[in-house]
Amino acid sequence: MSGHDSKYFTTTKKGEIHELKEELNSQYKDKKKDAVKKVIAAMTVGKDVSMLFTDVVNCMQTENLELKKLVYLYLINYAKSHPDLAILAVNTFVKDSQDPNPLIRALAVRTMGCIRVDKITEYLCDPLQRCLKDEDPYVRKTAAVCVAKLHDINAELVEDRGFLEALKDMISDSNPMVVANAVAALAEIQEGSSKLIFEITNHTLFKLLAALNECTEWGQVFILDALSKYKAKDARDAENIVERVTPRLQHANCAVVLSAVKVILQQMELITSVDVVRNLCKKMAPPLVTLLSAEPEIQYVALRNINLIVQRRPSILAHEIKVFFCKYNDPIYVKMEKLEIMIKLASDRNIDQVLLEFKEYATEVDVDFVRKAVRAIGRCAIKLDRAAERCINVLLELIKIKVNYVVQEAIIVIKDIFRRYPNMYESIIATLCESLDTLDEPEAKASMIWIIGEYAERIDNADELLESFLESFPEEPAQVQLQLLTAAVKLFLKKPTEGPQQMIQVVLNNATQETDNPDLRDRAYVYWRLLSTDPEAAKDVVLAEKPTISDDSNMLDQSLLDDLLANIATLASVYHKPPDAFVSRTRPTQQRDEDEEYAEQDSGTGDTSAPLSEAGQVSGGYQGASPSSPLPPPGGYGAPPRATVPPSGPPPPAAAVVPDLLGDLMGLDNALVPVGPVTPATPAGPPLPVLLSAQDGQGLQICGQLIRRDGQVFYSLRFENNTQMPLDGFMIQFNKNLFGLASAGPLQVPLLQPGGSANTLLPMVLFQNVAPGPPRSVLQVAVKNNQQPVWYFEGKVQLQALFLEDGQMERSTFLETWKSLPDSHEVSKDLPNAIITNSEATLERLLKTNLFFIARRTLKDTNQEVLYLSGKVPPNVPFLVELTFLVGYPSVKCAVKTPSPEMAPLFFEAMESLLR
Amino acid sequence: MGIFLSKLFSQLFGDKEARILVLGLDNAGKTTILYRLQVGEVVATIPTIGFNVETVQYNNIKFQVWDLGGQTSIRPYWRCYFPNTQAVIYVVDSSDTDRMATAKEEFHAILEEEELKDAVVLIYANKQDLPGALDDASVTEALNLHKIKNRQWAIFKTSAVKGEGLFEGLDWLSDTLKARGR
Repeated sequence: MSGHDSKYFTTTKKGEIHELKEELNSQYKDKKKDAVKKVIAAMTVGKDVSMLFTDVVNCMQTENLELKKLVYLYLINYAKSHPDLAILAVNTFVKDSQDPNPLIRALAVRTMGCIRVDKITEYLCDPLQRCLKDEDPYVRKTAAVCVAKLHDINAELVEDRGFLEALKDMISDSNPMVVANAVAALAEIQEGSSKLIFEITNHTLFKLLAALNECTEWGQVFILDALSKYKAKDARDAENIVERVTPRLQHANCAVVLSAVKVILQQMELITSVDVVRNLCKKMAPPLVTLLSAEPEIQYVALRNINLIVQRRPSILAHEIKVFFCKYNDPIYVKMEKLEIMIKLASDRNIDQVLLEFKEYATEVDVDFVRKAVRAIGRCAIKLDRAAERCINVLLELIKIKVNYVVQEAIIVIKDIFRRYPNMYESIIATLCESLDTLDEPEAKASMIWIIGEYAERIDNADELLESFLESFPEEPAQVQLQLLTAAVKLFLKKPTEGPQQMIQVVLNNATQETDNPDLRDRAYVYWRLLSTDPEAAKDVVLAEKPTISDDSNMLDQSLLDDLLANIATLASVYHKPPDAFVSRTRPTQQRDEDEEYAEQDSGTGDTSAPLSEAGQVSGGYQGASPSSPLPPPGGYGAPPRATVPPSGPPPPAAAVVPDLLGDLMGLDNALVPVGPVTPATPAGPPLPVLLSAQDGQGLQICGQLIRRDGQVFYSLRFENNTQMPLDGFMIQFNKNLFGLASAGPLQVPLLQPGGSANTLLPMVLFQNVAPGPPRSVLQVAVKNNQQPVWYFEGKVQLQALFLEDGQMERSTFLETWKSLPDSHEVSKDLPNAIITNSEATLERLLKTNLFFIARRTLKDTNQEVLYLSGKVPPNVPFLVELTFLVGYPSVKCAVKTPSPEMAPLFFEAMESLLR
Repeated sequence: MGIFLSKLFSQLFGDKEARILVLGLDNAGKTTILYRLQVGEVVATIPTIGFNVETVQYNNIKFQVWDLGGQTSIRPYWRCYFPNTQAVIYVVDSSDTDRMATAKEEFHAILEEEELKDAVVLIYANKQDLPGALDDASVTEALNLHKIKNRQWAIFKTSAVKGEGLFEGLDWLSDTLKARGR
């Protein structure tokens, strides 16, 4: 750089900020105002002018409303970045909230609410309190909204200062605008709180309905939303509300219309009179139809909401299907939604018209839309059995156009139609086979292969057709491979001739040895085993009758639908997701977490309960229609079916037991935990059952059982070293088991000298690694140390260690639960070794294990005593118990009623050992 | 004559307002003094969290008076207001003997400020109406006013509630400022 360029670095200017600062401190009002405007302009375009904070705040006390508003705007933006300095503004807020001009009062209170600085909230309560009681309704309504904002910053403060009560009083305000804003504020506070804050009572209901007619459109939305949460007492109450709300359907604002629809739908649930309901349905149709003449974006929102509405009450729009016909210039997202609703509204009455439309759409240019139209035809076929044939004819016509993606989509839906109406339309298979070569999408291929396999006996050259696919087997996607495998097996079972036999060998080899896909391999092994042990059984499994499917795709679960209908006219109804799925609340409720945990638990056991016979079956339902729906994971190698070793082929499954158990044991992410420093706990009590005898353990003996202390499950263990060497580095691991028991911490066993022993309490957690399959009380354990091989042994899950502390029931609850459970859930057993010599002592003992006494009676004729008890095991399974016995005589009859009767044997084991 | 005088003053001061800070510990009576000066009445006040600013016209001088909150939490922000200040009015609660030491510390801290080195200082020994209030001599002693060098200062006995002494102080202030302007 040459010397004279240095001038660029020296400047006499002190910079823009400095200039602004000077101007802000100017004594001339105009200059000051201009300066503040410049600051705001800079702020708006994203320049940081936060360093002017005090200078701007000092301009705050002015009579000039324009200047004041600008300063307030600045404050809202920068108060957060200068929380300490924000305190300088407090006095001005206080002054302004007492200004004679209501606009300034409202401005002050509104700005106060927007400043989210914890330090100053406290000072703002007094002005807020005043403004809530202001004589001017505009100030009052602004203050009401401010309360909601303050609640978000500091809920406690709001409650302590009695602002909630003030808000509730405002519902009775004479000004409808104030009422609407108070309602909005209360509703918002309620949303963020787990406590019940805002409930509409009979009294407030009347006030709200009165205000509804007078307030602004957005105020109406607030009130309607609040009304939709009101639980009417009875049908008359509901009818009353609906009657007052119905005029809102005529409103020009779509938000008002949708909110009104929401209220009416909610209250309709209670209305019993068929006439009233029919009448209401009739009234709701025109406003909904009108929404569809708005801009496409609003149409979309309306359509998403209508989608929900027709799922609950199809009758509302049953006669309006024509308005859902797609216009050529509709945006694609509107078209897609319209199609969805057309399917839902399609009926025997209008199907001809609808099919004409679909056929039209299927020839348009947008691929996604065309596909959806083709699929829609299939779904109508499945939904309306009388129209199925007409639908299929349309599909065939479309196939004849020979547009590649139309054909593929058609084949996918035809497969579903075959599932729905078996043995009715197979005549068209020949037509389908003509397009075999054009298939290049996995789903279409898989569908076609499924059809070939399913109807192998009717397709003369089925083996050739399959053969053609088999050539590319290794390269096919998993979905196609799975179908090929199943189809080959079906073919073989139906035509056990030479060709298919060779084919099956190739496929099985391919699927077991050449693949990395565990699903495919597992399925292949299942087939292989089946085929090699008992081909007849294989037939029963693979060719079993399939359950019919119905068109429930894109139908929401009832509870979700309820949830979404309650949220009509919100984002939730557009997303079709419950609000908590996409809005994160700062204060989540505890309850929900627990529910989720249990839900997980349920699904964990749920997908294993699928019987094996389904494994060979394809496409459980329409949605997964893809024949590829992955197999449920097999029952786990730890408990293999007692299968005889097949003569040839796959490795004998029995042999897999040990290595896989090892895999299960060691492969878990909380793999063997190293032994930490020692704090030996000394469990007292009776000797523990031997789990690993010294003989089996080369001198190491391990005893143990589950116990419960202070609501926590422990594995009480005793290690005895009868070897000639010191043992250390003990680690423990549990295999998957019924309750998913796993160690909650490291196993603490000190170095064991020869002849030494140690007791320890290992804390356990539940539901860490739940074993699928039927309940077994076995608890498989692996223990290792630094000197010996890994020891595997089995203990028992003693149910008595798992009974929960909160298993107590009220008598009435007990009775109700007993009655509500079907008789099939009652199991009883005689416990011959059990004896009760003193029922009081027994009850005390049972109480200690969390079995709670409910009632007793004596049977007159036999002199037997009957005790009723309740208990609960994790996750939340109640056991209702009836013990019948003769005091002092052995044998106790134990009957239990529980939602999970499969656990009864475990319970009896526990009872027997408790009553010994 | 009046016209002549006002012309004279406008020559001296221009249209300039004199910027004056009213400082002091909390509950010294700053806000009450401000409004006594401005509207001539006693208004009900609450602790000032922040500031008040009013324009007071006296003796043909416009004072832009900044009354800053005296709470411990706000005192650190006083310095935001120091630039371009012609005078400081330091208000002392003469009856609050317990906190006289704190008042002294704060006062001398203000005198140390570079940005206030040209400001004249007027001290109001306020709340003279209360029993047990120290007189001006005692306050002078308590605040160690005699140590002040290189600065013009004065102390006045005042009672904001009764309105006594305030304007005498302001007279001194306006005279001093006018003299400086000359």
